[in-house]
Amino acid sequence: MNSAYTPPMQALIDALGRLPGVGPKGAQRIAFHLLKSDSVDVERLAHSITEAKALVRFCDHCFNFSDGPICRICDDDRRDSSMLCVVEESRDVIAIEKTGEFRGRYHVLLGAMNPLEGIGPEQLKIRELLARLDTEGVKEVILCTNPNTEGDVTAMYLARLLKPLGLRITRIASGLPVGGDLEYADELTLGRALEGRREMPG
Amino acid sequence: MIIQHLELTDFRNYVSAQITLTDGVTAVIGDNGQGKTNLVEALSYLATLKSFRGVPTEAMIRTGADTAVIRATITHVDGREVLIEAELTRTGRNKVLVNKQKLAKSRDLLGVVRTTVFSPQDLNLVQDAPSVRRNFLDDALVALWPKHDALCSEVERVLKQRNALLKQSGGRLSPDIATTLDVWDEKLATHGTQLGDVRAQMLEMLLPQVQEAYVELAELNEDQTPVGMVYAPEWRTQGLARCLSECRNDDVRRGSSTVGPHRDDIELSINGLPARTHASQGEQRTLALALRLAVHRLITTEIGSPPVLILDDVLSELDPHRSAALLRHFPLGQVLITSAGVLPKTAHPDFSVHIAGGTIRED
Repeated sequence: MNSAYTPPMQALIDALGRLPGVGPKGAQRIAFHLLKSDSVDVERLAHSITEAKALVRFCDHCFNFSDGPICRICDDDRRDSSMLCVVEESRDVIAIEKTGEFRGRYHVLLGAMNPLEGIGPEQLKIRELLARLDTEGVKEVILCTNPNTEGDVTAMYLARLLKPLGLRITRIASGLPVGGDLEYADELTLGRALEGRREMPG
Repeated sequence: MIIQHLELTDFRNYVSAQITLTDGVTAVIGDNGQGKTNLVEALSYLATLKSFRGVPTEAMIRTGADTAVIRATITHVDGREVLIEAELTRTGRNKVLVNKQKLAKSRDLLGVVRTTVFSPQDLNLVQDAPSVRRNFLDDALVALWPKHDALCSEVERVLKQRNALLKQSGGRLSPDIATTLDVWDEKLATHGTQLGDVRAQMLEMLLPQVQEAYVELAELNEDQTPVGMVYAPEWRTQGLARCLSECRNDDVRRGSSTVGPHRDDIELSINGLPARTHASQGEQRTLALALRLAVHRLITTEIGSPPVLILDDVLSELDPHRSAALLRHFPLGQVLITSAGVLPKTAHPDFSVHIAGGTIRED
């Protein structure tokens, strides 16, 4: 196909289009924006991408993103080592950290069980999770994988694996958004929220 | 519920067309290949988000165009007016807007518009493979209780994942595969059992309606009940979890799931004999009509107003007795009848539109 763009520009649009959440129109828009911008700004962006890629790595303990061998959360002595929150991705750690409700530690699986994409337990950081349980004095594991098919199955798999170790295993609750209206909730969420109802103190 | 206005852009052979509809019977007349079925296909897409011809979305977009748009204004019994806009794309997701608001999930549209489609292919309900009858039952489920759409797609998803895992096993049941399979089986057992339960419940509600409709359409005596309809997959008596573990070796060797709700059938019979192999063509056609009519009536009673009824080229295939019986026994609301020729006298259309080469001419 004959491209309307010069080759370097087409290459830029193609590269941008491969990013998550960026469609062909979006890629084109970003490319135009970059080419119109100051070269200083563009170089700053290029530099921050290469630098982040060079410096940021996975934490040796929890597989969260980190700028050193051990991430800040794993390195923080004030954190409660008896509670371990298992999540699929680093971005989930950030989401939970923003709540300020959790003072324990994390373990990032780097995915969820998904045979269609060739991801089984061996491709996830499960062996590493088991090793941590032995050495870090964990008493409770909170399974915070996504409440979808793959996340649920991953949680079930981990629960079966960890239950015999005598730990307390919990699953994050699914339910209604705070400040929302019951009538706007979809049936599935509302159903799950009913299932996970709690007794009120009198 | 009445569809008042329909506008098509790049849908099938329509570049741009619109039609104003009213309550009552509208006859859609035109030669073969002019776009009669395409028009009613667009309407039923709004109800089910798929083609009743069982083709992928892509086939509904006009050749040479990237997106097709269906825009419809409907009025509910309580006077509420709703504008629905559906955009079908070749790549990416189809979009649906209700009153200009984007729906988070397009399946939230289910239940806003309801249609019942009769087409010559309905004979497949009796003659074809179990999947056709399974889909018929699931479509009825979703039409009546849209929330079950999520259950159907969850079961489908789990099955896809389980089959992918079975293929990866390469025919050998290693301990790793076995423990992973355990959790997928548990998930499939939970949701599969739920689906089996709601299918059984649906069948129980439908059976008397189908029996009654058949007697009416075939003009039999009221005390006769020749039609039987049985949904009794073996796994439901033994429990899906147990069946899955019993079939595990087989499943691993074949690389696919050999037991579960995705293999269910509904056994149809007339006078105690299997309808597929023993009934005459006429009886089969009547039974297929009775199945559709039963769902139509059930929805009418449960929802309180009849779905838009679409008779796509079916009257031409029925003898005058049966077509008269069919029209007489419908709870009539809005009806669209497509036909290549003149309609039978019993059809009494209130309005006629003529279709030629993707254009609509109203009389």
